[in-house]
Amino acid sequence: MDTRTVGPLLELNKAVPSFEESGLPPVPFSMRIMPGECVVVEARDASRATMFADMCAGLVPLDDGSVKFMGLDWATLKDREINALRGRIGRITRRPSWPEFLSTHLGIALQQLHHTNRPLDEVVAEASRLSEWFGLPGLPVLRPSMLSDSDLLRAACVRAFLGRPRLLLLEDPLEASPVDLENPFLGAMTDARDKGAGVIWLVRNNAIWQAYRQGVTSMWRLADDGLVAVRTG
Amino acid sequence: MPSDEIIDPTLQHDVSVRRVLLHLVLPLLSLVLGIVAVILIGVHSYRTTRAGVETLTHELLGAVQHYIAQEVSDYIRPALGGNIIASSMIEHVPAGVQERVFYSYGAAMLRSIPQLQSFYLADDQGHFILITRHGKDGKQQERTTLQVHDSRKVFHHDYYTDDGVKVGEADDPAPEDYDPRKRAWYQNTEGTDAIKWTQPFLFPTDKQFVMTSSLRFKGQDGHTLVFATNISLNALSTFLDNIKVGKSGNAIVLDKQGRVMAGRNLMQIAESAGWDPNKMVLDPKTHPVFARGYDHYRVHGLGPRSFTINGKQYVTIAAPLPNSTEGWILLLSAPESDFASFAKQSSQQSLQFAGVIITFSLVLAALLIRQVRRSERSARLLKRQDTQIAHETSAVQQVAATPALFDPANDALVLTEQLAYITNAHRASIWRFLHDGSAMICEDSYDQKQDAHSGGFEMSRSELDEFFKAVEDGEAFTLPNAAIDARTTQFERLVMREIGTHVLAVYPIHGAGGVLGAVVLEDATMAPHLVYFVDLVASIAGMRLMALQGVSSPEDEKASGDDGGFHAALQNAASLPATRFDNMLMHAPEVGGVSSSGIYPAVAVLVITFSDPVVDGEKETEGLLALINQLATEVQRVAQERKLFAVEVAGHRMICMAGCTPDEDPTAVIRMADAALTMRETFMAALAAADLEPVFTMGLDYGAAFGGAVGEDPKVFNLWGQTVSLAELMAQGAADAGTIQVTERVYSALRDRYLFRSRGAFFAPHLGLGRAYVLAARR
Repeated sequence: MDTRTVGPLLELNKAVPSFEESGLPPVPFSMRIMPGECVVVEARDASRATMFADMCAGLVPLDDGSVKFMGLDWATLKDREINALRGRIGRITRRPSWPEFLSTHLGIALQQLHHTNRPLDEVVAEASRLSEWFGLPGLPVLRPSMLSDSDLLRAACVRAFLGRPRLLLLEDPLEASPVDLENPFLGAMTDARDKGAGVIWLVRNNAIWQAYRQGVTSMWRLADDGLVAVRTG
Repeated sequence: MPSDEIIDPTLQHDVSVRRVLLHLVLPLLSLVLGIVAVILIGVHSYRTTRAGVETLTHELLGAVQHYIAQEVSDYIRPALGGNIIASSMIEHVPAGVQERVFYSYGAAMLRSIPQLQSFYLADDQGHFILITRHGKDGKQQERTTLQVHDSRKVFHHDYYTDDGVKVGEADDPAPEDYDPRKRAWYQNTEGTDAIKWTQPFLFPTDKQFVMTSSLRFKGQDGHTLVFATNISLNALSTFLDNIKVGKSGNAIVLDKQGRVMAGRNLMQIAESAGWDPNKMVLDPKTHPVFARGYDHYRVHGLGPRSFTINGKQYVTIAAPLPNSTEGWILLLSAPESDFASFAKQSSQQSLQFAGVIITFSLVLAALLIRQVRRSERSARLLKRQDTQIAHETSAVQQVAATPALFDPANDALVLTEQLAYITNAHRASIWRFLHDGSAMICEDSYDQKQDAHSGGFEMSRSELDEFFKAVEDGEAFTLPNAAIDARTTQFERLVMREIGTHVLAVYPIHGAGGVLGAVVLEDATMAPHLVYFVDLVASIAGMRLMALQGVSSPEDEKASGDDGGFHAALQNAASLPATRFDNMLMHAPEVGGVSSSGIYPAVAVLVITFSDPVVDGEKETEGLLALINQLATEVQRVAQERKLFAVEVAGHRMICMAGCTPDEDPTAVIRMADAALTMRETFMAALAAADLEPVFTMGLDYGAAFGGAVGEDPKVFNLWGQTVSLAELMAQGAADAGTIQVTERVYSALRDRYLFRSRGAFFAPHLGLGRAYVLAARR
């Protein structure tokens, strides 16, 4: 029963990010995400949203407190374990982050090929299926720079949902995206949650997630004084 | 961990290694170091003590040697000193008095000094007199003079008592060639005025070893005189024999040729040497220690030596004897243990102490390790308990977070799931009594091994009267083997044997009006420890059952309690109009009971999608067309049998619908489900006969739709709406080929009659979250 995870999936326990390293306000951040939960975090500042996602992924040094993912404190792990643990995170970044020396399909499959011993055929099949799901005619094989923005966004979705991510750090892909991406995105997100993944959906605009409001567990706002819970209703 | 992950970050190898290092290796290492330190200290102490003992032994032996040397010197001093005194006395008296002085001196000396045997006096004219001991005790004296009687040499003996009274005389013929001037004691003083010693010689008659010291001097008359003293070595040997060096050591006197002069067992040595003093040397067989000591002396010279013979340490010391001009050596030997035994005892005691300390250390280390292991075990137990508590908290949270938990219309699958997880049960199920108590219906049953829900089974009181009574008693009970208890034998046979469970725990669900049902756990190992959680779930289930009874009992009666009415409805369906086949399977539209366009409240829609056939060549195409035709014919047959409303064919899809009536038709979905199962079986059989994989999926939904006949000639019936979309979605998204995927609404309507497998929650475009199920079979 490896799908069951005991305790919170991600836990920010009074984590004070280093201001010099991140630009995030050096105030305590506290949040818990259980498996299957979807947390919407409203962040007006895109770079701040990215840094917050970095903090969740253990990329930002802390001045105090701790960030635990699947019960493991990022600060106490060694590089080998940290890297393996990050392999369990699916992420969509606002600023496209693709290695230009690899074709998009390799960029998509790289994470699975690096962290798992799944056969290549299986990974490609899954990536193709996800690509079709996200509205691509197939798995894109051109270089990332040769794809249109919307297609690159779809590819980013495929990359994030490929494999079995335990945590999804999604910097709103729906904003300024084709309308037809919304349903595949929400469907994939629901599917991942059903398999036990936790979702942090960083949005800039509240209107974006209204279609999914019944599925959202909680709502937060990334403000200057840290994370502020927002009542949903 | 997903099995395909290369590195599992949750495994913390180094921590456990560190713990083992800290808890096991470190104490053991400390213990070993402690033991080694004790051993080293013991060895060092032993060596120091041994060195000290050796020094002490040598010193002691040196002291003994001085003492013995002094004794030996004292022993022979009278002979040396006597010669000088006597010669001095004799040379200063007239020749006529010389004999008297000699006898007086000799008698006095023999009386007072026991080791002296006799005295000689000879001159250069061949005169010879002697005085010696006589008698058995040696107290009497014999004075002998060499005389010539009748030109024959005789020894004239006069016998005196100790007091100087003459008691007799005798003559004894002397050898003709006897001349004192030719004796060794006389000759070896030739040309010297120092005291000279002869070789020891034996008197075989009285077995006395005797040595003679002699001194040459001139008398007043100008004649040369030689005075000699015989001293017995037997007494010296007895003296040496009586001296104890240490406990068991002894002493021996050797001359510079290695001949034994005096010492223990002198007679045996003499005997083995054939009474020849020249052959009386040390035999390594009989005197191994002295022989080795003498060898050391010859190599290294005088002084103390240590060596080992037959594994035993010996100490010898060789020292010169003062007052002996002949280069005599005093050799002492003693086992080192005589002096060092206390050191050995001390070492042994140290060793014993070390052994005791090591034993204590081992015991303490064992206790420490045991304690550490116990602590670790406790820590593990605590951790396990923490995990269990976290599990339970998580389960309670999951239950609490379930939306519409108390709404009986909404399936609360989470209850059985969490029950099974938390109590580690093979299967957890919730049963409810029918309102009249005649039967129990399984609301939901979750098999943890299969990760599957099922429900809707029914048990009647006639079959399981004992079990029903036991539940109605309202007392929870747990049986280690349900098969042998009268209350549960039948239940075990009907329900449990299928999955092979044995342990049964039954927790009745109490409501306002009595027992409403029961929570049943099979093979739940943790259930006895988690009664509160089971009670919690039972209470929630109780509220749900209460709500169910309060809200929908009339419907229940109609739906599940009144099978007769339902069968009648099914019978009525026979009067429905004949099936409409449109498009390719089009028949002229029959004008039946339903011809009006509009909204139908309860339509069952079945969408069958086929994947693209791969054809290669005309012959295969013909074969495939024949197969398709066969399938189409079968669909027609089944549709007509089940009185479906219409069947449409469009490309790869086939849409079957039932229940297109203005009034709700509860049988429509049942007929459609039956038709779906029949079609699936038929398709499977036909495809298998044609050696093809099942290439179709089916989706079924049930709900409102709107439709009607469109077009003029021909008029085509069409149906739209969410129900149709969902059915299509179900068909497209079916898990595997050949499966029938249905929506939650179909599951709710049919779960008492059919077996379903949950597939999980899904987000459907425009439809939101929903659960999908796979229709498996009829009950």
